Amino acid sequence: MDPLIKSAKEGDHLAFACIFKENYPFLVKYLIKITMNPDIAEELAQDTMAKCIQKIHLYNGQSKFSTWLIAIATNAYIDHCRKQKRENKWKGQEEVYRKLKWHFESRNEEWNDALEALGKLPVNVRVPIVLKHYYGYSYDEIGTWMKISPGTVKSRVHNGILAVRRELKLGEETEGRHTRQRTTK
Amino acid sequence: MKKQKVVILGSEQQNKHDLDAIHKLQEGLSKVDQFPVYTPDLQWFEKMVLTEKQNSRKKFIKELSLFLMIAFFILSGIIVSFYQMPIVFILIQIITPVFIALYTITRVSKKVKMNE
Repeated sequence: MDPLIKSAKEGDHLAFACIFKENYPFLVKYLIKITMNPDIAEELAQDTMAKCIQKIHLYNGQSKFSTWLIAIATNAYIDHCRKQKRENKWKGQEEVYRKLKWHFESRNEEWNDALEALGKLPVNVRVPIVLKHYYGYSYDEIGTWMKISPGTVKSRVHNGILAVRRELKLGEETEGRHTRQRTTK
Repeated sequence: MKKQKVVILGSEQQNKHDLDAIHKLQEGLSKVDQFPVYTPDLQWFEKMVLTEKQNSRKKFIKELSLFLMIAFFILSGIIVSFYQMPIVFILIQIITPVFIALYTITRVSKKVKMNE
Protein backbone atom coordinates (compact mmCIF):
# COMPACT_ATOMS: atom_id res chain seq x y z
CA MET A 1 0.00 0.00 0.00
CA ASP A 2 1.13 3.55 -0.77
CA PRO A 3 2.88 5.03 2.32
CA LEU A 4 0.78 8.19 1.95
CA ILE A 5 -2.44 6.17 2.18
CA LYS A 6 -1.01 4.24 5.13
CA SER A 7 -0.33 7.52 6.95
CA ALA A 8 -3.82 8.77 6.09
CA LYS A 9 -5.31 5.59 7.57
CA GLU A 10 -3.33 6.24 10.74
CA GLY A 11 -4.95 9.69 11.00
CA ASP A 12 -2.40 11.99 9.32
CA HIS A 13 -4.34 15.02 8.03
CA LEU A 14 -1.58 16.21 5.73
CA ALA A 15 -1.31 12.82 4.05
CA PHE A 16 -5.07 12.88 3.43
CA ALA A 17 -4.81 16.38 2.00
CA CYS A 18 -1.97 15.33 -0.33
CA ILE A 19 -3.93 12.31 -1.63
CA PHE A 20 -7.02 14.42 -2.27
CA LYS A 21 -5.07 17.17 -4.02
CA GLU A 22 -3.44 14.59 -6.27
CA ASN A 23 -6.73 12.85 -7.16
CA TYR A 24 -9.04 15.89 -7.26
CA PRO A 25 -8.84 16.70 -11.03
CA PHE A 26 -9.35 13.02 -11.92
CA LEU A 27 -12.35 12.79 -9.59
CA VAL A 28 -14.00 16.00 -10.81
CA LYS A 29 -13.52 15.05 -14.46
CA TYR A 30 -15.10 11.64 -13.85
CA LEU A 31 -18.03 13.32 -12.12
CA ILE A 32 -18.43 15.82 -14.99
CA LYS A 33 -18.67 12.90 -17.40
CA ILE A 34 -21.46 11.18 -15.49
CA THR A 35 -23.35 14.24 -14.21
CA MET A 36 -22.69 16.37 -17.32
CA ASN A 37 -22.74 19.37 -15.02
CA PRO A 38 -19.45 20.88 -13.71
CA ASP A 39 -21.19 22.56 -10.73
CA ILE A 40 -22.82 19.35 -9.50
CA ALA A 41 -19.52 17.53 -10.18
CA GLU A 42 -17.61 19.85 -7.82
CA GLU A 43 -20.30 19.54 -5.16
CA LEU A 44 -20.25 15.74 -5.42
CA ALA A 45 -16.44 15.67 -5.36
CA GLN A 46 -16.59 17.26 -1.90
CA ASP A 47 -19.24 14.74 -0.79
CA THR A 48 -17.05 11.93 -2.11
CA MET A 49 -14.01 13.18 -0.18
CA ALA A 50 -16.10 13.46 3.00
CA LYS A 51 -17.29 9.86 2.59
CA CYS A 52 -13.75 8.80 1.86
CA ILE A 53 -12.56 10.24 5.19
CA GLN A 54 -15.31 8.36 7.03
CA LYS A 55 -14.63 5.06 5.24
CA ILE A 56 -10.84 5.06 4.89
CA HIS A 57 -10.61 2.14 7.33
CA LEU A 58 -12.44 0.02 4.73
CA TYR A 59 -9.86 0.63 2.00
CA ASN A 60 -7.67 -2.47 1.79
CA GLY A 61 -5.31 -1.45 -1.01
CA GLN A 62 -6.39 -4.28 -3.33
CA SER A 63 -7.52 -1.79 -5.98
CA LYS A 64 -6.02 1.57 -6.91
CA PHE A 65 -7.05 4.47 -4.69
CA SER A 66 -8.52 6.27 -7.73
CA THR A 67 -10.69 3.21 -8.44
CA TRP A 68 -11.95 3.28 -4.87
CA LEU A 69 -12.74 6.99 -5.26
CA ILE A 70 -14.68 6.27 -8.45
CA ALA A 71 -16.75 3.64 -6.64
CA ILE A 72 -17.64 6.11 -3.86
CA ALA A 73 -18.31 8.92 -6.35
CA THR A 74 -20.63 6.68 -8.39
CA ASN A 75 -22.72 5.89 -5.31
CA ALA A 76 -22.71 9.54 -4.26
CA TYR A 77 -24.17 10.50 -7.66
CA ILE A 78 -26.81 7.75 -7.56
CA ASP A 79 -27.81 8.88 -4.04
CA HIS A 80 -27.93 12.50 -5.24
CA CYS A 81 -30.30 11.56 -8.10
CA ARG A 82 -32.56 9.55 -5.74
CA LYS A 83 -32.68 12.51 -3.36
CA GLN A 84 -33.57 14.88 -6.20
CA LYS A 85 -36.36 12.55 -7.33
CA ARG A 86 -37.68 12.27 -3.77
CA GLU A 87 -37.72 16.03 -3.38
CA ASN A 88 -39.27 16.44 -6.85
CA LYS A 89 -36.33 18.53 -8.02
CA TRP A 90 -35.55 16.18 -10.91
CA LYS A 91 -35.55 18.21 -14.11
CA GLY A 92 -35.70 15.30 -16.53
CA GLN A 93 -33.15 13.92 -18.95
CA GLU A 94 -33.35 16.77 -21.48
CA GLU A 95 -31.90 19.27 -19.06
CA VAL A 96 -28.90 17.17 -18.04
CA TYR A 97 -26.35 18.02 -20.75
CA ARG A 98 -27.27 21.70 -21.26
CA LYS A 99 -24.75 23.01 -18.75
CA LEU A 100 -21.94 20.95 -20.28
CA LYS A 101 -22.91 22.13 -23.77
CA TRP A 102 -22.74 25.71 -22.51
CA HIS A 103 -19.23 25.05 -21.12
CA PHE A 104 -18.15 23.64 -24.48
CA GLU A 105 -19.50 26.70 -26.29
CA SER A 106 -17.87 29.12 -23.86
CA ARG A 107 -14.50 27.46 -24.55
CA ASN A 108 -15.13 27.52 -28.34
CA GLU A 109 -14.98 23.74 -28.36
CA GLU A 110 -17.02 21.82 -30.89
CA TRP A 111 -19.98 20.06 -29.20
CA ASN A 112 -20.07 16.32 -29.70
CA ASP A 113 -23.44 14.75 -30.65
CA ALA A 114 -22.45 11.55 -28.88
CA LEU A 115 -22.30 13.47 -25.60
CA GLU A 116 -25.81 14.78 -26.23
CA ALA A 117 -26.99 11.23 -26.87
CA LEU A 118 -25.25 10.11 -23.68
CA GLY A 119 -26.90 12.93 -21.75
CA LYS A 120 -30.34 11.79 -22.90
CA LEU A 121 -29.84 8.36 -21.34
CA PRO A 122 -31.10 7.61 -17.83
CA VAL A 123 -28.50 7.76 -15.04
CA ASN A 124 -28.48 3.99 -14.46
CA VAL A 125 -27.50 3.48 -18.13
CA ARG A 126 -25.18 6.45 -18.59
CA VAL A 127 -22.96 5.63 -15.62
CA PRO A 128 -22.15 2.01 -16.64
CA ILE A 129 -21.45 3.11 -20.24
CA VAL A 130 -18.88 5.68 -19.08
CA LEU A 131 -17.31 3.21 -16.64
CA LYS A 132 -17.15 0.39 -19.18
CA HIS A 133 -16.27 2.11 -22.43
CA TYR A 134 -14.23 5.06 -21.23
CA TYR A 135 -12.51 3.84 -18.07
CA GLY A 136 -12.43 0.17 -19.04
CA TYR A 137 -13.78 -1.33 -15.80
CA SER A 138 -15.25 -4.82 -15.90
CA TYR A 139 -18.96 -5.64 -15.66
CA ASP A 140 -18.27 -7.32 -12.31
CA GLU A 141 -16.63 -4.23 -10.84
CA ILE A 142 -19.39 -1.92 -12.09
CA GLY A 143 -22.04 -4.34 -10.80
CA THR A 144 -20.45 -4.39 -7.34
CA TRP A 145 -20.32 -0.60 -7.16
CA MET A 146 -23.87 -0.10 -8.42
CA LYS A 147 -25.22 -3.03 -6.37
CA ILE A 148 -26.62 -4.82 -9.43
CA SER A 149 -25.67 -8.07 -11.17
CA PRO A 150 -22.98 -8.08 -13.90
CA GLY A 151 -25.66 -9.36 -16.33
CA THR A 152 -27.82 -6.31 -15.63
CA VAL A 153 -24.82 -4.02 -16.21
CA LYS A 154 -24.11 -5.76 -19.51
CA SER A 155 -27.69 -5.40 -20.74
CA ARG A 156 -27.84 -1.74 -19.66
CA VAL A 157 -24.59 -0.99 -21.50
CA HIS A 158 -25.82 -2.84 -24.59
CA ASN A 159 -29.20 -1.08 -24.64
CA GLY A 160 -27.51 2.24 -23.95
CA ILE A 161 -25.17 1.84 -26.92
CA LEU A 162 -28.17 0.95 -29.10
CA ALA A 163 -29.90 4.13 -27.94
CA VAL A 164 -26.77 6.19 -28.71
CA ARG A 165 -26.62 4.57 -32.16
CA ARG A 166 -30.25 5.44 -32.81
CA GLU A 167 -29.64 9.01 -31.69
CA LEU A 168 -26.57 9.32 -33.92
CA LYS A 169 -28.48 7.57 -36.74
CA LEU A 170 -25.67 5.03 -37.13
CA GLY A 171 -26.51 2.02 -39.27
CA GLU A 172 -29.99 3.13 -40.24
CA GLU A 173 -29.18 3.13 -43.96
CA THR A 174 -27.65 -0.34 -43.95
CA GLU A 175 -30.46 -1.71 -41.79
CA GLY A 176 -32.95 -0.33 -44.29
CA ARG A 177 -31.03 -1.93 -47.16
CA HIS A 178 -31.06 -5.29 -45.39
CA THR A 179 -34.81 -5.11 -44.92
CA ARG A 180 -35.31 -4.22 -48.56
CA GLN A 181 -33.13 -7.15 -49.67
CA ARG A 182 -35.02 -9.57 -47.44
CA THR A 183 -38.45 -8.46 -48.62
CA THR A 184 -37.47 -8.90 -52.29
CA LYS A 185 -36.36 -12.47 -51.51
CA MET B 1 -27.34 -21.70 -45.57
CA LYS B 2 -27.96 -18.42 -47.38
CA LYS B 3 -30.10 -17.17 -44.52
CA GLN B 4 -27.32 -17.94 -42.01
CA LYS B 5 -24.82 -15.91 -44.04
CA VAL B 6 -27.15 -12.89 -43.99
CA VAL B 7 -27.46 -13.13 -40.19
CA ILE B 8 -23.68 -13.29 -39.70
CA LEU B 9 -23.09 -10.32 -41.97
CA GLY B 10 -25.82 -8.44 -40.11
CA SER B 11 -24.28 -9.06 -36.70
CA GLU B 12 -20.85 -8.03 -38.00
CA GLN B 13 -22.33 -4.81 -39.27
CA GLN B 14 -24.14 -4.29 -35.95
CA ASN B 15 -20.84 -4.69 -34.12
CA LYS B 16 -19.20 -2.20 -36.45
CA HIS B 17 -21.93 0.36 -35.74
CA ASP B 18 -21.64 -0.33 -32.01
CA LEU B 19 -17.89 0.29 -32.22
CA ASP B 20 -18.50 3.49 -34.17
CA ALA B 21 -20.88 4.72 -31.49
CA ILE B 22 -18.42 3.78 -28.72
CA HIS B 23 -15.60 5.55 -30.58
CA LYS B 24 -17.70 8.73 -30.89
CA LEU B 25 -18.54 8.56 -27.19
CA GLN B 26 -14.88 8.14 -26.29
CA GLU B 27 -13.99 11.09 -28.51
CA GLY B 28 -16.55 13.31 -26.78
CA LEU B 29 -15.61 12.18 -23.28
CA SER B 30 -11.90 12.72 -23.94
CA LYS B 31 -12.72 16.36 -24.70
CA VAL B 32 -14.09 16.64 -21.15
CA ASP B 33 -10.71 15.44 -19.90
CA GLN B 34 -9.11 18.47 -21.54
CA PHE B 35 -11.26 20.83 -19.45
CA PRO B 36 -9.17 22.81 -16.97
CA VAL B 37 -10.22 21.95 -13.41
CA TYR B 38 -9.40 24.37 -10.63
CA THR B 39 -7.67 22.47 -7.82
CA PRO B 40 -7.62 24.24 -4.44
CA ASP B 41 -4.34 24.44 -2.52
CA LEU B 42 -3.08 21.92 0.05
CA GLN B 43 -4.22 24.05 3.01
CA TRP B 44 -7.81 24.01 1.77
CA PHE B 45 -7.75 20.20 1.60
CA GLU B 46 -6.18 19.95 5.06
CA LYS B 47 -8.84 22.24 6.52
CA MET B 48 -11.54 20.20 4.82
CA VAL B 49 -10.15 16.94 6.28
CA LEU B 50 -10.02 18.44 9.79
CA THR B 51 -13.56 19.86 9.57
CA GLU B 52 -14.91 16.58 8.24
CA LYS B 53 -13.24 14.58 11.02
CA GLN B 54 -14.67 16.92 13.66
CA ASN B 55 -18.11 16.69 12.09
CA SER B 56 -18.06 12.91 11.97
CA ARG B 57 -16.93 12.75 15.62
CA LYS B 58 -19.81 15.05 16.64
CA LYS B 59 -22.22 12.96 14.57
CA PHE B 60 -20.98 9.75 16.18
CA ILE B 61 -21.43 11.12 19.74
CA LYS B 62 -24.91 12.44 18.84
CA GLU B 63 -26.00 9.12 17.31
CA LEU B 64 -24.57 7.06 20.16
CA SER B 65 -26.33 9.12 22.82
CA LEU B 66 -29.59 8.97 20.86
CA PHE B 67 -29.23 5.20 20.53
CA LEU B 68 -28.55 4.78 24.27
CA MET B 69 -31.53 6.96 25.19
CA ILE B 70 -33.93 5.08 22.90
CA ALA B 71 -32.57 1.73 24.12
CA PHE B 72 -33.08 2.83 27.74
CA PHE B 73 -36.71 3.85 27.08
CA ILE B 74 -37.54 0.68 25.15
CA LEU B 75 -35.94 -1.62 27.72
CA SER B 76 -37.57 0.12 30.69
CA GLY B 77 -40.94 -0.02 28.86
CA ILE B 78 -40.54 -3.74 28.22
CA ILE B 79 -39.48 -4.47 31.82
CA VAL B 80 -42.39 -2.47 33.24
CA SER B 81 -44.91 -4.15 30.90
CA PHE B 82 -43.47 -7.61 31.72
CA TYR B 83 -44.10 -7.15 35.45
CA GLN B 84 -47.18 -4.89 35.42
CA MET B 85 -49.07 -5.74 32.17
CA PRO B 86 -48.13 -9.19 30.78
CA ILE B 87 -50.75 -8.93 27.96
CA VAL B 88 -49.12 -5.76 26.61
CA PHE B 89 -45.75 -7.51 26.80
CA ILE B 90 -47.04 -10.44 24.70
CA LEU B 91 -48.62 -8.04 22.18
CA ILE B 92 -45.31 -6.20 21.79
CA GLN B 93 -43.54 -9.52 21.22
CA ILE B 94 -45.98 -10.38 18.40
CA ILE B 95 -46.22 -6.94 16.76
CA THR B 96 -42.47 -6.26 16.63
CA PRO B 97 -41.40 -9.19 14.34
CA VAL B 98 -44.48 -8.64 12.11
CA PHE B 99 -43.56 -4.94 11.73
CA ILE B 100 -39.90 -5.74 10.97
CA ALA B 101 -40.92 -8.33 8.33
CA LEU B 102 -43.38 -5.95 6.62
CA TYR B 103 -40.89 -3.09 6.68
CA THR B 104 -38.14 -5.25 5.14
CA ILE B 105 -40.46 -6.55 2.38
CA THR B 106 -41.62 -3.04 1.38
CA ARG B 107 -38.05 -1.72 1.41
CA VAL B 108 -36.71 -4.56 -0.74
CA SER B 109 -39.56 -4.28 -3.27
CA LYS B 110 -39.02 -0.51 -3.48
CA LYS B 111 -35.31 -1.06 -4.16
CA VAL B 112 -36.09 -3.63 -6.89
CA LYS B 113 -38.54 -1.20 -8.54
CA MET B 114 -35.92 1.57 -8.46
CA ASN B 115 -33.33 -0.66 -10.14
CA GLU B 116 -35.72 -1.75 -12.90
